[in-house]
Amino acid sequence: MRDSVPEFRLRRRALLAGSVALAAPALLSTRARAAEDRVVLATWGGDYARLLRENIDTPLLAPKGVKVVQTIDDEPPRIAQMIAQRMLPRGTFDVASLEAAYAYRLKDMNLLETLDESKIPNLKYVHPNLRTNFFVPHIYSPQVLIYDPKQVTAPTNFGDLLGPKYKGKVGFPTNNNFYVAMAASLYASGNVTDIEKAKALLIKLNQNGLRLYPETDSIAAAFKSKEINSGVMWLARVVMWQNAGISVAASFPKEGSVLYVSGFVVPKNAVNKQGAYQFLNAMLEPSAQQGFAAHMGYLPTVTNAPLSGKVAEQLALPNPAPRLVSPDYAYDAKETAPFNSWWQSKIQQG
Amino acid sequence: MNATAPAIAVPRRRSGGGITAGAMVLPATVIVLVMMAAPLILLARDSVNHFDPTDLMTAALTPQSYLRFFTDPYYLRVMRTTVLVAVSATGLCVLFGVPIAYRLARSRSRWKSAIVVALVLPLFMSGTVRTLGWMILFIKGGLLGSVLRLVWPDDSIDLMYTPFAVMVGLLSFVLPYLVLILQASFEKISPALEEAARGLGATPGRAFRRVVWPLLLPGLINAVILCLIMNMNAFATPLLLGGPRFAMMAPQIYTEFATNNNWPLAAALSLILMFVTLVLSVVANRLVPRRYRA
Repeated sequence: MRDSVPEFRLRRRALLAGSVALAAPALLSTRARAAEDRVVLATWGGDYARLLRENIDTPLLAPKGVKVVQTIDDEPPRIAQMIAQRMLPRGTFDVASLEAAYAYRLKDMNLLETLDESKIPNLKYVHPNLRTNFFVPHIYSPQVLIYDPKQVTAPTNFGDLLGPKYKGKVGFPTNNNFYVAMAASLYASGNVTDIEKAKALLIKLNQNGLRLYPETDSIAAAFKSKEINSGVMWLARVVMWQNAGISVAASFPKEGSVLYVSGFVVPKNAVNKQGAYQFLNAMLEPSAQQGFAAHMGYLPTVTNAPLSGKVAEQLALPNPAPRLVSPDYAYDAKETAPFNSWWQSKIQQG
Repeated sequence: MNATAPAIAVPRRRSGGGITAGAMVLPATVIVLVMMAAPLILLARDSVNHFDPTDLMTAALTPQSYLRFFTDPYYLRVMRTTVLVAVSATGLCVLFGVPIAYRLARSRSRWKSAIVVALVLPLFMSGTVRTLGWMILFIKGGLLGSVLRLVWPDDSIDLMYTPFAVMVGLLSFVLPYLVLILQASFEKISPALEEAARGLGATPGRAFRRVVWPLLLPGLINAVILCLIMNMNAFATPLLLGGPRFAMMAPQIYTEFATNNNWPLAAALSLILMFVTLVLSVVANRLVPRRYRA
């Protein structure tokens, strides 16, 4: 008797046809992407991604038919992706969130589009000291001395952290190490580029029982458990933790505050550059800027987004106005890697 | 009545017809090989590129990253810590895992399945989530910290960001694997052998040492090598529980890659870590007499 079960045979042509059918969406995706005006945004996740959607994508871009697709990752993999894709004619994203220091490095590597300022009308409202032609600043925050007012009185300059009441109770996230060094340099020399003097101060601080944490949020837990009573932190984080009920306050150091600036860049090989420009312009809208200030505690980078109520109070700069100092990004690019090596062997293992 | 058995139709193999089982396995095998080999080749190539703080990685053929590892005491110290922690954690796993696996294998309790499930349950969640759980326990003001404070009120003992925390985190991650492997090995060893040894006058300890242990060795060495590999390459546990002052190789590689953008050094460290892990695995295997190896 002949076996009645039908034979299944995969022929080569069928296999090829199946493979082509499976690969078709991927092959056609870039064309389809441009047609529906989709902007691919590479950014951080969590609250930042949510606030981008709530303050920019949904209220400002969706009504214009622009759909923003977020690809979520940390900053280092995003940068790695941009470097790895540098030879490709079409990159995988149109806009990328970056800290200013990294934007300057990628600009030096010729990976970033020089922006056509006529396509970003809101650029004229950006603070002049934050403007460049390859990076659009989104948010910024001054670096302040953070302390717990229930445990200690306010430190007034970086050197105060070496005092006996802060001994063994000063904490930094190690990922902010270069900014901490800039703060130390500002105290020691009045500028942000005297890393050698900063190193001497950091060694003293380390000998005084400096506590190091793997990332920024662990600082909040350390304040909450009273493991530390002071440190150096962004004003935005101080505000965020105050809103979370943690006993912390900010003190602007007399020598000045280094600025942290985060924003967006357009890779040279972005597929939808027009969409990218629309996104950049939308994120500078006053409503979007105010939304970020209210929820994340970062200051608006534009002059036409005044703050009001509790946010204005929390983010108000003291009177007289403190000295706000932008990092020397070219210097940072050159010095960060050697400094990190020094930090690893002398501070982390010191 | 026809007494002959009905003939079974044996399908003849036709050349050029359908794709055979071997041919169907081939694409997957090729994909796996390519996906494994290609990154390794890329790593090897990147590891001899030049690093410049401004231009980052530029194409070259230089041993600078390897030289840096062997001449900078910091990296040698990180490797030493990694090997020490991995070997210690593996030793502790064996110490705790062998009795658990033995009891489990010999158990006739109706709760045996439940115990096995409880053992495997931590593996259902990601390593990072599990590590965050340990952080909540260890952190000052956390559950364990608060209990410790009752005993030790002066608040001088830190659990978080200590080698102890890393060791506990690694054990919790690796121990279930070791127990499961060893339980399977113990199940294959007939209890009758132990009973025979004891019938011939051996004490329980001697029966275990002379009869069960040699038979367990092939399975044990596989489990030890697996634990060693996992401990050597641990990332989230040393990063989150050890803190910045406790450096192990995997977090260090990420730091070189992500913070310093030093891809050549990160690639060189990855290959060195892989090589050291391989050497340790071979050494572990060689420690077992040849006649007991699988």
